[in-house]
Amino acid sequence: MTTPLLSVAPSPAFWVAAIAYAAAAVALFAVLAGSTKLRPIALALVATAFVAHGVDIGWRGTLGVHPAASVREALGFLSWILSGGYLLASVRYRLTLGGVVVMPISLVLLLCARLSPAGSPEDFSALGRIHISLATVGVGVFALAGALSAIYLVEERALKRKKFDSLALKDKAAPLEPLDRMSHRLIWVGFPIFTVALVLGAMWTARLGENLDRPEYALAAVTWLSFAALLVARQIYGWRGRRAARLTLAGFATALAVLAIYLVRRMLG
Amino acid sequence: MSELFVVGISWRTADVAVREKLAFREDELSSVLAAVTGALPVAEAVLLSTCNRVELYGVAKPGSDAASAVRAFIADDRKARSNDVMNAIYDHRGPAAIRHVFRVASSLDSLVVGEAQILGQLKAAYALAGGAGTSGPVLARALERAFRVAKRVRTETTIARGSANVASVAVELAGNVFGKLEGKHVLVVGAGKMSSLAARHLYTNGAEKIVVTNRSPEKAAALADEIDGAAAPWAELETLLAKADVVISSTGAREPILTRALFKRVMKARRWKPIVVIDIAVPRDAEPEIEKIDGVFRYDIDDLEKVVRGTLADRAKAAEHAGAIVEHEAVQFEQWQRTRGVVPAINALRGHFNAIAEAELQKVLDQLERRDHTPAQSREAMQRTIRLVINKLLHQPTAALRGSAADEGSLRASVLADLFGLELAADDGSEPADEPESGGPSSEPQDPSAERKAQA
Repeated sequence: MTTPLLSVAPSPAFWVAAIAYAAAAVALFAVLAGSTKLRPIALALVATAFVAHGVDIGWRGTLGVHPAASVREALGFLSWILSGGYLLASVRYRLTLGGVVVMPISLVLLLCARLSPAGSPEDFSALGRIHISLATVGVGVFALAGALSAIYLVEERALKRKKFDSLALKDKAAPLEPLDRMSHRLIWVGFPIFTVALVLGAMWTARLGENLDRPEYALAAVTWLSFAALLVARQIYGWRGRRAARLTLAGFATALAVLAIYLVRRMLG
Repeated sequence: MSELFVVGISWRTADVAVREKLAFREDELSSVLAAVTGALPVAEAVLLSTCNRVELYGVAKPGSDAASAVRAFIADDRKARSNDVMNAIYDHRGPAAIRHVFRVASSLDSLVVGEAQILGQLKAAYALAGGAGTSGPVLARALERAFRVAKRVRTETTIARGSANVASVAVELAGNVFGKLEGKHVLVVGAGKMSSLAARHLYTNGAEKIVVTNRSPEKAAALADEIDGAAAPWAELETLLAKADVVISSTGAREPILTRALFKRVMKARRWKPIVVIDIAVPRDAEPEIEKIDGVFRYDIDDLEKVVRGTLADRAKAAEHAGAIVEHEAVQFEQWQRTRGVVPAINALRGHFNAIAEAELQKVLDQLERRDHTPAQSREAMQRTIRLVINKLLHQPTAALRGSAADEGSLRASVLADLFGLELAADDGSEPADEPESGGPSSEPQDPSAERKAQA
């Protein structure tokens, strides 16, 4: 039996969002490269993409497809959190480079979420839905921290190598220490959410009577351990900077791997 | 004639690794100046040694090749007679030297075009040479003129605008890492002028505190006083580094002080909080390897140059204008040099002409005021006065020409023709035009009314 709700076609708003994400990425790159007059247009494109993406999620909701209804829906939601987080940060900081990193990620996640095969139907309990919702928000926050860490590493590399004309250093409003601090704060926000999601996930899996020896579970544990280690190392040894940024990216990469495995597994049924 | 020359090395021709071989400490300058003027055919000398240039401005004794001698002397004195050093040393002579001095003073030859420090350094070098007794009249005129040119360039062009001096670059580099400088601590290691400027600039841009440390506690205290900072003992360097966010180092040490081993301990103590080390000393104070440690951002004087490149474009236009000013001033200076022998004669001639004209004019004005004249009478009085002035002016030269011998007379005549742009008629045997009798230097102008009565 096929559940029609899981295979609803993308809405027109989805196409608007996808095109706006791509255009925003190009425009932000142009701003970074020196066409600063394009900045308002680029930010308007980000806002357009975010709103259109929201409309698409809402439209799917009216058809009964909840953001936590499946892993692919969760991916779409994650992408939306990312662009929203970026938009929010842009109000205060001039994070052009951040946009150049975040916009393509949002676009790819959205395309994966909407254009991948629906796979077999899933029947989630309330526990499962809460788990997926929290995990999505947690990973979304980690993704923002990861994006900041990526920018940190690119900038740090340029500063260490004294490449002052590098595009990475065009954004004077994103200095290293604030990037590091913001990333650290995001991890503090994301970590408890992700922890609860993990516990609920374990409970949900136990209730379904499934084994815990699947690779995605192990990877999820690695994600949690990475961020836990990061927080502990910072608290005790003062770890920050390059090491912290790398660990953040490693943690985020394992979280992405978990999502990818889920996605593939569901697609394959 | 004594020729001005410059021999030196700068950031344009050599990396810091070469420049540091030729750098002079401040306490060495006097003895080097004495040696140059004592042992070489150099009449006057001023020596400038900064992190970006080592230059000797000198005046060659007549008929000598002083520039080549100085070039060899500097290389030998620094024990740096390698090819890379010799190739990097340049010299300029005569007009080229003047232009170079003007450009250096105006900061057109600086690493950061438009920066203000070089003028102060040049003034200090000039003062030091004055103290050592090696500066003289030619260099004094050239350098004092250079200082005026520099002032003109700064006021008439936009070359000093923007933030492209070493101090501003320090603020920009710290900004790349920290963003806002509020609450940041600055540590000044050594008591260099440049580092104090950079520290002050960081302070005015929001840094919370400046601490100065130096091997000499007196120097540290003096600099701390000057820049509203606090002095700290040299022995506490490691603790001070652990507390600082920006370090500006410019000691005169020959060996690195900020070593990798030290920074490993420091970074652990400061829990890996980032630190920006701006090393403007030559030879360098910080080992380049410290930047491999996470959170350490080290920049030496050559790195500052890279930062600056980005902002220099804006100043390029101003530099063109400034270059034109320098060229104009250099040409004027050359003209002045050439004409300074005839200036007294010109002044005396002008004074003489003015005195005669003023005296006669005053007389005729007095007469016109005393009596009522018809307009025709007034015109006639003025014409008479003008003729009188001309006659008085020409009386002495005419008499001298008439009284001169044949050869001398024709020479004087041709000089006169040249000076006044005259075309001399061919000698047709006619008598020279006589001066009117009333035109003698001692004759008085006649009263126009008396003349009228006589005519009646």
